[in-house]
Amino acid sequence: MDEFLQKLQDSDFGVWVSSAPTLFAYPTILMLHTVGLALVVGPIAVLSLRLLGVGVRMPVSVFRNVFTIMWWGFLLNAATGVALFISEAAEKGEQLDFYIKLTFIALALIAAMQMKRVIFTNRDDAAVDRQVPRQAKSLAVVSLLLWAGAITAGRLMAYLK
Amino acid sequence: MFLGFASWLHKTPISLAFQHQVAWLWPACETLHFAGLALLLGVAGMFDLRLLGFMKRVPISVVKEFMPWALVGFSANLLTGMIFVISQPAQYFGNPTWWLKVTFLIIAGLNALIFETAYGRRAAALPAGVDTPVSLKIIAGVSLVSWLGVLWAGRMLPFLGAGVGAGL
Repeated sequence: MDEFLQKLQDSDFGVWVSSAPTLFAYPTILMLHTVGLALVVGPIAVLSLRLLGVGVRMPVSVFRNVFTIMWWGFLLNAATGVALFISEAAEKGEQLDFYIKLTFIALALIAAMQMKRVIFTNRDDAAVDRQVPRQAKSLAVVSLLLWAGAITAGRLMAYLK
Repeated sequence: MFLGFASWLHKTPISLAFQHQVAWLWPACETLHFAGLALLLGVAGMFDLRLLGFMKRVPISVVKEFMPWALVGFSANLLTGMIFVISQPAQYFGNPTWWLKVTFLIIAGLNALIFETAYGRRAAALPAGVDTPVSLKIIAGVSLVSWLGVLWAGRMLPFLGAGVGAGL
């Protein structure tokens, strides 16, 4: 495993990402990872706020497309995340915090899909607008906490060994 | 002028406290800065999309009910951003990319001010289902571009322009 991770990091691509003398390598990939974070967490956070009672005059059905935006953001961050990981594979592959971050993300995505199911599948939109199901409210809280966890673990990757 | 201010600020008790007293303060502020960014861009981005003509069936005034949460995200980022600058003033004042970030912030702020003072009432009176006027679309475009500019410059500043004012 160690050897494989080291090989990844030493690959042409890994070395290009970490040390190519251009802003389009590591800096831009890292910047796009932040854009992806905003695309994933921003819309889900707004939907969660709505489910928790903010802007109740806003029809919940407006948020149908939120999940499409979330998946595009996720795709961007999976791609940029893989590139960033390869560039530091030997170190990050051994970092517990990295796996904690991945766990938070996986759970947060499951929560988002559950949320979609609860509010949009087999439900009358008008009924959801009148009374947000209790389960959807719980999922909104869980979702916000899980994304906060993913952001925290992600940020700490720069600090923890 | 700013670098003189930076070295003065660096020696103030509050800066020294931020620099040395609590090891977790910087990573904690960074984490909050990223969460605040997602909240701000999520809410403001949705409002801008509405001004661009998406989600027409929802009145602008309804979408605006979420805006206090954009302000929550912005306030969190202003506070944590001030902690960064107070802790390491030269690192920011000496970096042209940080000034670019500030410029984008000022553009975003002025743009919001123009919306509030000159177009807020008109936007609120716009009935649902009607296309938004070009003026509102321009304001939304400027908002989206300037906030992305803030993000771009903020994320780039360790790599682009760092070291210009180093050695202070």
